[in-house]
Amino acid sequence: MTTSSLLEFARGPLFRLSFAILILGLGRIIFLEIWGIIKAYGNTCDMKMPWQLIRSRSLEWILPVKRMMRNRDVYSVVSFLFHFGLLIVPIFLFAHINLWQQSVGITWPALPYLWAFWLALSTIVFGATMLIGRMAVKQMRFLSKPQDYFWLILLLTPFVTGFICANLSINAAFYQFIMVVHVLAGDLIFILIPFSKIAHCVLAPFSQVVGAIGWKFPSGADEAITRTLDSPKG
Amino acid sequence: MKITTITQEEHKKAFRSVKKPEVIQKQKLNVRYHVEDLDVSDRPRKFLEAFAIILKHSNYKMVLDHFIRMTARCSRCSVACQVYQATGDPRDIPCYRSGLLLDVYRRHFTLGGMLKGRVTGGGYLTDEKIQEMADSFWNCTACRRCVLECPLGLDHGLITHLGRYILSEIGIAPRALVVSTRAQLEGPFKNTSAIPVPALKDTLEFLEDDMFEEKFVKIKFPLDVDGSDYVFFAAVSDYLTEAESLMGIAAVFTATGDKWTIGTDYFDGINYGLFYSDRVLERVVKKVDDETKRLHGKKILIGECGHASRTARQFVPAYCGGTQALPVVNIIEYTHRVWKEGRLKLNPGVVTERVSYHDPCNYARNRWIVNQPREVLKSFCKNYFEMAPSGENNICCGGGGGTVSIDEIRPYRTTVGGRMKAEQIRRSGCEVLVAPCANCKKQLRELVEDQGIDCKVVGFHDLIYNAIEFDDSLKVARDEAGKEAK
Repeated sequence: MTTSSLLEFARGPLFRLSFAILILGLGRIIFLEIWGIIKAYGNTCDMKMPWQLIRSRSLEWILPVKRMMRNRDVYSVVSFLFHFGLLIVPIFLFAHINLWQQSVGITWPALPYLWAFWLALSTIVFGATMLIGRMAVKQMRFLSKPQDYFWLILLLTPFVTGFICANLSINAAFYQFIMVVHVLAGDLIFILIPFSKIAHCVLAPFSQVVGAIGWKFPSGADEAITRTLDSPKG
Repeated sequence: MKITTITQEEHKKAFRSVKKPEVIQKQKLNVRYHVEDLDVSDRPRKFLEAFAIILKHSNYKMVLDHFIRMTARCSRCSVACQVYQATGDPRDIPCYRSGLLLDVYRRHFTLGGMLKGRVTGGGYLTDEKIQEMADSFWNCTACRRCVLECPLGLDHGLITHLGRYILSEIGIAPRALVVSTRAQLEGPFKNTSAIPVPALKDTLEFLEDDMFEEKFVKIKFPLDVDGSDYVFFAAVSDYLTEAESLMGIAAVFTATGDKWTIGTDYFDGINYGLFYSDRVLERVVKKVDDETKRLHGKKILIGECGHASRTARQFVPAYCGGTQALPVVNIIEYTHRVWKEGRLKLNPGVVTERVSYHDPCNYARNRWIVNQPREVLKSFCKNYFEMAPSGENNICCGGGGGTVSIDEIRPYRTTVGGRMKAEQIRRSGCEVLVAPCANCKKQLRELVEDQGIDCKVVGFHDLIYNAIEFDDSLKVARDEAGKEAK
């Protein structure tokens, strides 16, 4: 398989497959999450929910202006900007929108070139800072598992490769190679997101509800557990 | 708020084991708290069985599934945790602590974990991992401050709670809590301090006499009054150690004339179930509800106790009838309401010291009782000031999560758990610290004593008692009072 045919495969059938896995996978975990919440809520007699607290705490972290600067301000700003670039650049990049238009005919407004340039560059810089931080800061290094490093590297790969292709003068063969890496990394991210911690991209808004219902214990659990323990199988 | 980590000497003092080596060997468990004798064989299997049964009869599966899909291990929670800030040991980071139980869940209760375990042949739950959990979950004061700092909104307090619950099902729980709970649920006196009803009556009569001599007002502790508006449950230890708080509460009711009563069948608000077992939690909550219904009370009133108030408020609806459940009121809510209605007069000239307010975590973390006591205190304490951080972001006293009742870990509580709080009190120059929670009061008194801080710790109603002013109609003339006292 030549590089160009690999590129076609990666951004054609493989992309469609990985995108389908992403959507279906995220759909699955959202469904499971909501189903779990409904089931748990049905188990409890206490139906009163602290909606005001849930709403305000959820918003505080989705738009973390208030919380962000209170502690670990440098880390917080770096992390926020990294997340911001991570979401905005791939979705609003002119080249990506162009591909969607060519294949399925849909389009939406693109980022101006300069914005895309600086946003992509800042995402790379902040992502690298987070990676270094994970290795350098004692408590982060202690908590980190191999997948935490792997994910940062994987997420940065399409950014670095995309940035090279878009902004540097390189020969055609090297361009194609870099582009293959770019698309394959993107495909891999899509495939893995629903099965990894990056699922927080869709599950984070549920956290406060999960916490609130988690503290609502079902009535009769004490008797049920005693019964189970006393049963011959128990 | 930044503090220095403990020195090696302090570390030795805080983490010393009080258990005899032969007990450690016999129990195969080296933790800092005493544990009742337990079956040591096949502990991992028993842990997993208990875990499975609990998952079957609870909502924890939904919580754990959410957690294992979410944890990003960013370590931001470490800045909020006063235990980690004191020890500097990364094993005290809340996210790591939760990870101990999440790893067990992932490995033994999820398909992916089980497959991975089969392939790699590792990750099994071992005695060593149980030992680490038994240590770690009781290092935490369950203050849930880390919840505010988690960008993903994960409640590590809930995971610590579950971890302790599972451990208790295999016999690993602090003896101090287990013995007290047994006295409360199965003992003849039905309370954690084993106070007999005649002794309770004697104590209350003695307090009534004291109040009469001091205030010239007949202030009563009404017992077993049927159909009262409020049935009162204090942390039972208050009857032994917090006389002024109780006197303040009785004084407020005398001033307002509202009907309240203490039931003699069951009068203990303490619920250690919140700290180690949902099964205990449920049984105790039902006892509180039963006693209120026996006396045909309209509302459950909880005294100055954070965990007792939170358990009643949060779990009476869950265990005792949902929307039909009896309303639960904390005494500070009541006092604040009657003060706002103008039914409580407080003398602004009595309290002159520099006074500040300590938020018990169980009141403030979920923004339940934050401003109410402050409004009242500011109205009559000339030199009231605010410590920072406070309210929702308060720093735990260091004795939360039941640890204050474990006497053998006092050096840990006052060196590690309360280090940040001690620093805050020291820096603020506070003279009188109002801590309206039985646990916080005990811990803070021990903390200021061990840390050599010159600060008096009192209850909210202690100050109310000092400052309360009664209508003349309630007062008995001095000479008459003298005769009655004789």
